[in-house]
Amino acid sequence: MEVPSVSVRDVFKTYDTGTIKVEALKGVDLTVERGEMLAIMGPSGCGKTTLLNCMSGLDTVDQGEILIENMKLHELPDDERSDYRARRMGFVFQLYNLIPVLTSVENVEMPLLVSGMNPGEARRKSMEHLDIVGLSDRAHHLPGELSGGQRQRVTIARALVNEPAIIWADEPTGDLDSETTNDIMDLMCRLNDENRQTFVMVTHGQDVGDRAHRIVRMQDGRVVDDGMSSTPAGGRKRSNG
Amino acid sequence: MDELFGLSMTYISATMLIAFLAIMLVVGILAWRNRVMLRLGLRNIPRRKSQSVLIVVGSMLSAVIITAAFATGDTISSSIRSDAIVELANIDEVITSSEDSEGFGQPGPPYFPEEEFLRLEESLRGFDQIDGMVPHMAETVPAFSQTTSLSEGRMRVTALDPSRMDGFVPLTTLDGDVVSVEGLPVDSLYLNEKAAEELSAQAGHRITLHIGREEAEFDVAGVVRPGGMAGQSTSSTALLSLEQGQALFDRQGQINIISVSNRGGAQDGADLSRDVTKHLRGLLADSDVAAELKGLLNQPALMTAISEKRDFTRGQTREQLDTLHRELQEDGVSEELVQALSDQVVQGDVLAAIESLDMPADQRQELLDNAFDLFDDLASLSVFEVKRTLLDIADVAGSGITSLFVMFGLFSIMVGILLIFLIFVMLAAARRTEMGMARAVGAKRSHLVQMFVFEGTAYDLMAAAVGTALGLVISYGIIGLLNYIIGRLDVDFSFSYSVQATSIIAAFCMGMIIVFATAVVSATRVSRMNIAEAVRGVPENIVLGGEPSFQDRAKLLPLSIGRPLVFLWQGLSSIARGMFLRGILRSLSSVLWVIIFPIWIVDFAISLVRFSLPYMRRGWLVFLLGAVLYLGGVYSWSSAAAFTLGMTLMILGFGLMMRLLVAARPQFTEVFGLILALSGVLLVPYGILNGQGVTITIGALLLASGAAMAIPLISGKLPRRPQTIDRHAFTLVGALVLAFWLLPEDIGELLAGELQGDIEMFFISGICMVGAAVWTVMYNADLMLQGLTILTSRVGKLRPVVVTAVAYPMSAKFRTGLTLAMFSLVIFTMVVMSLLNDSFANTFRDTERIAGGWDIEGRVTFTSPIDDIRASIADNSTLSMDDFEAIGGYTFAPLTVRQVGAESQVWESYALQASDDEYLAASEYGFLTTIPEYRGDEEAVWEALRQDPNLAVIDSGAIEQANEDFDSAGSFTLDGVSITEDLEGPITVEVSEPLTGWEREYTIIAILDPPADPVGIIASRAGIDVPSVPEIPITTYRFRAAEGVDVRELSKGLEVAFLANGMETVVLEDQIADLVSFFRSFYNLLIGYMGLGLIVGIAALGVVSMRAVVERRQQIGVLRALGYRQQMVQLSFLLESSFVTLLGVAIGVTLGFVLSNNLVTGFEDQLEGISFSVPWLQIVGIIIATYVFAMLTTYFPARQASRVTPADALRYE
Repeated sequence: MEVPSVSVRDVFKTYDTGTIKVEALKGVDLTVERGEMLAIMGPSGCGKTTLLNCMSGLDTVDQGEILIENMKLHELPDDERSDYRARRMGFVFQLYNLIPVLTSVENVEMPLLVSGMNPGEARRKSMEHLDIVGLSDRAHHLPGELSGGQRQRVTIARALVNEPAIIWADEPTGDLDSETTNDIMDLMCRLNDENRQTFVMVTHGQDVGDRAHRIVRMQDGRVVDDGMSSTPAGGRKRSNG
Repeated sequence: MDELFGLSMTYISATMLIAFLAIMLVVGILAWRNRVMLRLGLRNIPRRKSQSVLIVVGSMLSAVIITAAFATGDTISSSIRSDAIVELANIDEVITSSEDSEGFGQPGPPYFPEEEFLRLEESLRGFDQIDGMVPHMAETVPAFSQTTSLSEGRMRVTALDPSRMDGFVPLTTLDGDVVSVEGLPVDSLYLNEKAAEELSAQAGHRITLHIGREEAEFDVAGVVRPGGMAGQSTSSTALLSLEQGQALFDRQGQINIISVSNRGGAQDGADLSRDVTKHLRGLLADSDVAAELKGLLNQPALMTAISEKRDFTRGQTREQLDTLHRELQEDGVSEELVQALSDQVVQGDVLAAIESLDMPADQRQELLDNAFDLFDDLASLSVFEVKRTLLDIADVAGSGITSLFVMFGLFSIMVGILLIFLIFVMLAAARRTEMGMARAVGAKRSHLVQMFVFEGTAYDLMAAAVGTALGLVISYGIIGLLNYIIGRLDVDFSFSYSVQATSIIAAFCMGMIIVFATAVVSATRVSRMNIAEAVRGVPENIVLGGEPSFQDRAKLLPLSIGRPLVFLWQGLSSIARGMFLRGILRSLSSVLWVIIFPIWIVDFAISLVRFSLPYMRRGWLVFLLGAVLYLGGVYSWSSAAAFTLGMTLMILGFGLMMRLLVAARPQFTEVFGLILALSGVLLVPYGILNGQGVTITIGALLLASGAAMAIPLISGKLPRRPQTIDRHAFTLVGALVLAFWLLPEDIGELLAGELQGDIEMFFISGICMVGAAVWTVMYNADLMLQGLTILTSRVGKLRPVVVTAVAYPMSAKFRTGLTLAMFSLVIFTMVVMSLLNDSFANTFRDTERIAGGWDIEGRVTFTSPIDDIRASIADNSTLSMDDFEAIGGYTFAPLTVRQVGAESQVWESYALQASDDEYLAASEYGFLTTIPEYRGDEEAVWEALRQDPNLAVIDSGAIEQANEDFDSAGSFTLDGVSITEDLEGPITVEVSEPLTGWEREYTIIAILDPPADPVGIIASRAGIDVPSVPEIPITTYRFRAAEGVDVRELSKGLEVAFLANGMETVVLEDQIADLVSFFRSFYNLLIGYMGLGLIVGIAALGVVSMRAVVERRQQIGVLRALGYRQQMVQLSFLLESSFVTLLGVAIGVTLGFVLSNNLVTGFEDQLEGISFSVPWLQIVGIIIATYVFAMLTTYFPARQASRVTPADALRYE
C-alpha cells in the first residue's frame, strides 16, 4: 500500500497567552493520501489553520504525532525542519504573503536559492513556473504593482517551483473575487492532476471545497467529518496517473 | 561664562526658560483638554520599552552636546577667573610709567620718582573707591641657594613699602602667621612658596641674587603664601622692603609700579575697576594735552570715522568709543573724555580712524603724527585694569571654548534632529492603521498631531534630563582630559570643574526645545495620510501633499505678519462666543509672539517657505536663490560659503527644472539636450579664455545637463517611467554637486576668485557632499542591488539572505537614506578631522626645519647677561667648546613697525630679533619666498644679512593669510604680499622702539618658512649697535650640539654653567614634540566629542531594526515557511544593518579622504612640510568601533526576529 502523504494521530494543541488558554486542537486524526487534494473547512476558530500549521511543521504539537512521508517532522531540529520545508513543501497563503521588496521572479526563486540551487538555474526554473501560472510578463514587477489574482499566482508559482511533494494552502482564494477564485482553482487543480502533488487547503468557500477530492470538516478543535464517505458536490475523482 | 555668541548667558537662559515654560503650558493645556489623545500618545511609551529607551537615547544628543559645551566653557572661564582672583588677590589696577625708558628691550617697567606716588595719593584723598595703594619696585634676576645649590633663573624681586599695605592681603607664612617686610634685616628676605620650592629653600637658608655683575647675599626670613603682593603661584618671588630694594638696585627714591586695591575684596573689587580707572586716568592725564587732543580730533570727518570704528567693536571698547564720540562734541574737557583718551585701545582705534580719512596724504600724516605725540604726552603714568582684563579674558576663553564645542557639536545635533524625524516617521508608519481608524471615526488631523506631540514631549523631557546629566558627566571627562593634556606641557595650571546654574538651565531648555520643535514638525508631516489606504494598511511613503492654490498660499504671508493681531481677534471673538479657555489661549499667544520676537520671525519664515514651496519644487526658485547667493558670494561678500551654497542650489534647481521638462515633453528631450550641451560647449572655452568664472560655471552646468538629456540619442531609449526620469535627474544633480564640491581648490579659484571662508565651510561642505552622495546612492539603489546579486551568485545558500538584506533597506529609501546620512555625516567629520590633524602634524615632523637646525635654546636675564659665551664655555670645567657645532645669539626686542609706501601707516606692534653673526651664519631656516636675486640660494640670504645690517628677513606671520586663524605674531601684515606668490622685490619697513624713540629702516629680502620658529624681523645686531642706543645685551642663545653629544645632558650642563646669568634652557626637539602632542591630543578630544554623533547613528540603526522586526513579522513567517533557518533570519537582519553601516562608512570615509586630500594639497604651497598622510590606526579604529557598536545594537532585534516561530509570525494580526 502507498505510504500516505500525511498522517495525523491524536494531535492536541493549546495556545497559552498567559491569561487564557485556548485549546485549538483536541485530538485530531487525519490521513492525506499522496496526490490527494484535500480541503479543510469549518467555522472561524475551529482550528483549521492551526492544524495546517502543525501538519506543515510551522508549529509544534503538544501531544500526538504527525507523520509526513512517514517521518516525524516535529521531532526534527528546527534547522532540519527548515531544510525539509525548502525541499519538499510549498506554501500558498492568503494575500500579501509575498516579500514586498522582491520582484515576482525573485519571490518565486527564493525557495530554490534557500535550498542552495545555482542562481542561474533557479532563475530559469522560476521563469518557467511564472510562465506556467501565466505571469512571465510580470516577472520583474514588485508585488505592489500586481493585482490580487496575479499575486496569488506568483504565490502558487513560488509554492510549486521546488517541485514539492506537498503544497499547503491557507485560504488561497480568501481575498479574491469569484472569477479570479475560479481561475486560481483551475490552476491548482490542473497542477494537482498533472504533477500528482498533494494539496492541503484551508478554506471557507464551499465552491473552493467542492473542487477538492475530499472535504474534512472541523468544529471546535475536532474533525467532525473526515469526508471519507462522501465526495464533494462538484468533487473530482482522484487521478491515479 | 557670562556671554555666548555676544549674548549674555542670563538672557539666553531666561529666554530659553520662558520658551520652555510656554511650551509646557501650551502642551499642558492641550493635554488637559484632550485627555484621550494624551492617553493614546503616552500608552505607547511603556508598551515597547526597549524602543522607548532607544528613542530617548537618540533624542538626548542635543542636550548632551550643549550641556557638555556649556559646562566645559564654564569650567574654563571660572578656572581662569578664580586663578586671576587668587593670584592677584586685592590688586585691581597697576600704574606704571608711560615715559621713555633708559634701555630698549629692557624687561620690566621703567622707573619714576616716588614723589609721583605721593602726589597721586594726595590727590586721591577723599576718593573712597580705593582702599589701598602700594608703591613698589619689581625686577627679575637669577638666584642661587647656597644651602641647597639649586638655582632659579627668573626670580622676581618685589620691594614694597610695608607701611602702605592697607587694603592688601598681608604677607602670610605657610603656617598662617602674618609677617611684614618692615624691619627686615638688610640681608634678609621672604620667598614665596614657588621660589622656596624651586630652591628647596626654607627659613634660615642663604641665597644669592645676581644683580648685573654684582652678587648680593640674603638670609631667607621665611616662606610666604603666593597671591597679591607675594607674587603669583607660578612665579618665584622674593620680597623685601622698598628701602632694601632701592639700595640693592641703586634706585634711591624711585619705584616702577604702584599697585591699587579697590574697595571691597578680591572678587567684588573688580566691579569698581571701571570707575577707579576712569578717576585715576582723569587725575593722571594732563588736561591741557587732553584739550589740545580734543581740538585736534573734533572734526566731522574723523567723528564719522570713529563711529564707523565703533560699529566693529563690542563691550568696553565700544562704550569707550561712544563716550569719546559724545564727549568730543561737548564743551570743555570732561573727566569722561580724559579717561577715554587715556585708554590705549581707544588710542589705537583713533589712530586707525585717522588712517582711514579721505584727505591728502601729507595732511593725514601730519594729523597722525600730532595725535601720536599728544597721546604720548597725555599722561606720564598709565593705568592698567589688570584684574578686570584677566576676568574679561576668562570670559572670552570660556565662551570661545563653548562656541568651539557647540560648533563641532553642530553636526551631531543635526544628525540627532534627523534621527528624531526618522523616529516619528517610523512611529507613524507603525500606527498607520490605528491612526487611519481614528481619522475614520472622526478624529481631526490636529488630534493626531497632538497625540504625537504628547508622546514626543514625554520622550523629550526624559531625553533632555538624561542628556543634561550625561552632558555634565562628559564635560567632567573633557576637563579631566584637558587637565591631562596641559599637564604634559609642564604648565602650573589646571581647570577645576565648575558649572553655572544658568548654563544647566539653558542647556536643558535648548536640548528640549530642539527636540520639541523637530517633533512638532515631524508630527505635522506624518499626520497627513490617505485615510482609506491607512485603514487598509497599504504601505505608503510620506505623503508630500497636494499643491495648495495660489490664493490659499498667498494668504499665508499677510496672516503670519499680522499673527499677533489675528490671535488677538480670534481670542476676543472666542471669548465673545463664550469659549473662554480658547479665547484666553489665543490672546496669550498673541502676547507670546510679541514678547519672544524670534517666534514671529520663524512663523513668517515658515509661511514664506510654504508660499514658495511649489516654485521650489519646480526648480526655478531654487536656481534663482542659488544664483543670487553665487553672485553675491563672488562679487559682493567675497564669501566662500555663499558661493558654494549658491552653486549647489543652482545645480539642484537646474536638475529639478530638467526633470519637469523631460517629464512634460519627452519628445523634445534630446533636442533640448543638444541645444543645452552645444551652448555649454561654446560658453566654457569662452569663459576660460576670458577668465570669467560665472560663464564657465553656467557653461559646465549646461553641458552636463544637456549631455545627460541627449543620452537617449545614443541609447535609443527614451526614459518614460517617472522613476527613471527621477533617477536620471537626481543622479545628475548628485553627481554634479559632488563633482563641484570635490573640485581641487585652484579650479574653484578660477570659478570664483579668492574668497573668504572659515570653519563654517567644513559644515557646509560636509552636509552638501554627504547629502549629494546619499542622494545619488539612494536613487541608484537598484543598480547596486543588481551588482550585489551578481557578486553573491557564488555564495550558495547565503544568496537569498544577501538579496533580502539589500532589498529591504533599499526599498525603504527614506529611512535608509536618513540613517545612511547620519552615519556618513559623523564618519565624514571624524575622518576629515583625523586626516587633517595628521597631515598638519607633518609640518612639525621636521624639527630641524622648525628650529633652523638648532638643538637648544638658552635664555638669560636682561640684568645679568653673558659677556662672551664662547670664552665662558672655554673657561668652564664641565663644558667644552668641542660639544658645540655652533652657538648663536640674539636680542628679542618688542617694537612697532610700519611698511613704507603701504596704505596703512599705523605703527603696529611687532618684534625685532637682532642677531649676532654666528646665528645668521649657522641658522638653517628655509624661506617661503625671497626676492628674485636670491631665489634658490637660501644661504646667500643669510650671508647678505651678515654683510648688510640694513637687510632683514621677516617671519611668515607678516603675510596676510586667507584664513585669519593662522595669523600669528601681531596685527602687522605686509601690503601687496600674498602667501601664494613670490616676492617681486624688496620691501622697506620702518621700525620704531616706542620707549627710546629709536627708529630705522630695514629692507626685507625674504620671508621665512611658515613652520620656522623665529618671530619678527630678523636682522644683524650690527644694525642696533649705534651710539644713540645703549648697549643691548644678548638675551637668547641658540646652541647646535656637536655630532654624538647628548643634547639633553648638554642642556642641563648649560643651565648649571650659566647659573649666575639665570640661564634657562629648553631642548627644542622636546619643546616641539610637547607642542605637537598638545595639539594632537586636543584635536583627538574634539574628534572624540564629535564621535558622540555616532551614538545617534547607532541608536537609529537600533530603532530601525526594532521596527523592522515588528513590521516584517509576517514576512519572516513566510521566509521561515519557505525554508529559511533561524540563523538565516538573524543573519539577514545583521547583514541589512551591516549594509547600511558599511555604506555609510564608505561614503563618509571616501568623501573625507577626497576633501582632506584637496584641502591639504591646497595648503601645500602655503605651509611647507604639510603632506597628506593617513592615521590608519585611528581611521580603522573609528570604522571598527562604529561597525561593532552598530552590530551590537542590531543583534538583539535580529535575535528576537529569528526566534519568532513561523506559525506565530504567520498568524494574522
